Amino acid sequence: MLGRTRRSGLLSNRILVGQRAPESPEMRIALFVPCYIDQLKPAIGLAALDVLETFGFEVDFPEAQTCCGQAFLTAGETRAADRLFDRYLDVFDDFDQIVALSGSCAATIRRHLPSRRASSRAEGVAGRTLEFSEFLVENGVATRNLGRFPHRVGLHSNCHALRELRLGTASEIREPERMDPARRLLSSIRELQLVDLTRPDECCGFGGIFSIEEEAVSCRMGLDRLADHRLANAEVITSTDVSCLFQLAGLADKAGFEFRAMHLAELLAESLANVIRESSREFDPSSRDVGASQEGMDRTDGSR
Amino acid sequence: MTDARTEIFRRLEAARPPASARPAQWSAPPMPIDEMATLRDRLSDAGGSLQIAQREDWTERIVWPVPVSGIAHVYSSVAGVSNKGVGISALTDHDLECLDLCVLSADFAVVENGAVWHRPKSPRERAAALLATHLMIVVDAAELVPTLHHAYSRIGSEAASFGWFLCGPSKTADIEQALVLGAHGPCTMSLILLRD
Amino acid sequence: MGHVDRAREFVADADRTGWHDRALWFVRTKRDRAADLVPDWEALRERASEIKRFALGQLPELWCEFEENAIRAGAVVHWARDGHEHNEIIARLLQERRIERVVKSKSMLTEECGLNPHLEACGIEVVDTDLGERIVQLRNESPSHIVMPAIHLRRGEIGELFAEKMGSPPGLDDPTELTAIARRDLRDRFLRAQAGLTGINFAVAETGGFVVVTNEGNADLGTALPKLHIASVGLEKIIPRQADLAVFLRLLARSATGQAITAYTSHFRGPRPPSPDPQELHIVVVDNGRSHLLGRPAFREALACIRCGACLNTCPVYRRSGGHSYGATVPGPIGSVLETSRDPATHAELPHACSLCGSCSDVCPVRIPLHHQLLAFRGELARAGHQRRSRRAALGLIGWLFARPSGYRWLGRSGRFLARRLPTARLNALVSPWTRQRALPEIPEASFRELYARRRAAENDR
Repeated sequence: MLGRTRRSGLLSNRILVGQRAPESPEMRIALFVPCYIDQLKPAIGLAALDVLETFGFEVDFPEAQTCCGQAFLTAGETRAADRLFDRYLDVFDDFDQIVALSGSCAATIRRHLPSRRASSRAEGVAGRTLEFSEFLVENGVATRNLGRFPHRVGLHSNCHALRELRLGTASEIREPERMDPARRLLSSIRELQLVDLTRPDECCGFGGIFSIEEEAVSCRMGLDRLADHRLANAEVITSTDVSCLFQLAGLADKAGFEFRAMHLAELLAESLANVIRESSREFDPSSRDVGASQEGMDRTDGSR
Repeated sequence: MTDARTEIFRRLEAARPPASARPAQWSAPPMPIDEMATLRDRLSDAGGSLQIAQREDWTERIVWPVPVSGIAHVYSSVAGVSNKGVGISALTDHDLECLDLCVLSADFAVVENGAVWHRPKSPRERAAALLATHLMIVVDAAELVPTLHHAYSRIGSEAASFGWFLCGPSKTADIEQALVLGAHGPCTMSLILLRD
Repeated sequence: MGHVDRAREFVADADRTGWHDRALWFVRTKRDRAADLVPDWEALRERASEIKRFALGQLPELWCEFEENAIRAGAVVHWARDGHEHNEIIARLLQERRIERVVKSKSMLTEECGLNPHLEACGIEVVDTDLGERIVQLRNESPSHIVMPAIHLRRGEIGELFAEKMGSPPGLDDPTELTAIARRDLRDRFLRAQAGLTGINFAVAETGGFVVVTNEGNADLGTALPKLHIASVGLEKIIPRQADLAVFLRLLARSATGQAITAYTSHFRGPRPPSPDPQELHIVVVDNGRSHLLGRPAFREALACIRCGACLNTCPVYRRSGGHSYGATVPGPIGSVLETSRDPATHAELPHACSLCGSCSDVCPVRIPLHHQLLAFRGELARAGHQRRSRRAALGLIGWLFARPSGYRWLGRSGRFLARRLPTARLNALVSPWTRQRALPEIPEASFRELYARRRAAENDR
């Protein structure tokens, strides 16, 4: 049984942020919510829904979904992973696009599912699974008004998004640079200062069960990442993967470092909410005078 | 009981992967525009130095790693630099241990990495190049190739028993990554390009 | 004690770990700068991978061609099924000639075979002449890196070592001074050596010759003077043609140390002409698990390895745990594939000493998909029974539950219910590997799907 969303949530007013309808309204889009977002960080799922709806995407949440199988695959439990892959195929087969709220889950589906469950159906569904920021950029969202987020932000590059999905160019590779969609989106947000890190794509040390089994090395890796962000005076650390954020936020909290760890969806939602709040103050629905704030927001590059 | 060779070939045959195509011809990148600067930089990275001089009077013009007149032992296979001391009198290659300077000529230099291709005329020459404190190599300035691909085209699959690429002096960074020149072999290496 | 415990010990010294990590990262950045200057870098990697793939499909033919050409050039070719046979062949060659003093340049293969202890037991002195190898030899330990054997040591420690073992003044720590001390000692060894042992970086089928690369020139000093040169080579180190060397040599030094080329790239073919005595050249070709790896489609690409060490330098785990924590001759990502293939029971932990970041695969000059191989190994090892039964059972149960929406929801709900009601200390203790240095995320009251269902219900009511 599939769930369908209606226009709801904080960012539902399309007019306020000057959006236009997506190119292909018949596209059936499903949201894949990773198990740890579902169970531990539901706010990220809601934020992602809000952002997608704000930009005019009608998104389904098929309730029969459970887990992409990544943790089992990386633990070497391939049978368990295969069963979850099969379930994923059954649940998402019908959809034109599947938006996954995690770079590592999207990578597991795109890279590993087709090699383990080889079939044209598997290739099809896997190929239609996109990571959240990837989906947004491919559907033209980067050129729209992405709101305002006046903070110093460190982007933690998720290894699987980078090296499996090739969303961006890894620092090891010598090729013309392909911009990472998360970076692209962040660069388009007004007043957001994206900081430079000394090691732009070193691993945070989560790695699934690795974080538990090799706890000492895992934590040292994460603490080194945090030191890099501190050196750059980041106030916020963002990523397209919540597991990286669990690692970094977990270490930061215990060590007493002050960071906000935000999934990209949460950051975007807050950024958009900032401009909506402002425009609500000034926006008079009865007036024909559009007003400066409204004009500013209609510019597609989001600048004033 | 099978011998090792037979057994190994049997194992290799049993484990043979599917055949894959022999890779096609490779087109190597061209000579960089600033070939001399590139050569100088790469050689300098390797701890060596480059000098360019006229063939007619190079021995008087170049900066020597050590004043030739002041040293006792020189091995040279280059016209214009004479052998001295053990360079003349060595009975065995081991006698070259106290060699101060070795001067050789090499076939060509490789611009992308600063190396020269050298075929020692004799085992003695190879030993001299390794045991001398200072090594100097002379190459015709017209004999530059862009990359190793071009180098191997020139070298072919020749029958010589020994040849080497030499780039800079002997060195090591095995102690805390600190570069030290003169690990076991020469402490300095000078490349002299001769123009007509 | 496996990688987990040794790594924990290593990491406990936070300063030293930082120093080790930065030293190796520095080498990684040098590799990056060198690759910047090669316009066709990625094409070169692909090309190298193709040549190796072709060669691995032709090993019997290539080795026949090599052997024929090598013999024609005057070399003697020996074959060793395993490390022990390799050691016996070399010991016999030395003993037949009454040789007692041998110098050896760096060869990970001879480390793998345990050659030095074998020869020493036969009364033959073996001196490792690569400075890093000499240092670890004097300390009676194994190399911690395949290219920089003593990267784990600080200069002061080396100064102490030389004072103890070579009688140099105590308290020295200047690398130039220390190198000069080693130079004097090793010069003497080179001049008195009766045989030189080397590895082989590339064996060339077309010529029957081979290439040995060093920065120090120790492979050359070790073979230019003595009358016997013995070169050890693994079955996987053969390339078809001389021209192929260009591809690998353009990649090797840049990947290893960030140099465009090593100081010495020596091409041997047959023994040295008499000077004045004739020289012998013996080549020992070694299997020791390589043909076995060749027969494993998921892992055979690892045989393409040219031993550059780039994967070690970039690996965030290696940098923070050090080579000795792997308990294997070759550590790091490539070691975790090769060693686990050779001896899965001993090294079952190694493929898990990895966060699967994939950086290793991206720096590998021959494009071995290292992190995918490590992942594949995890499945193999679990199936072969090298994984703890309790862990397998637990994951199996959770996996079974997760495959059913109702099971998944139940597990999630009960987990959150318990977690919210347990006293913090109890909860932290329960999941203690996580909570030792990390806070737990706040456990929400409702899952996303529950909140989503409520939202939908609220919309429907409107």
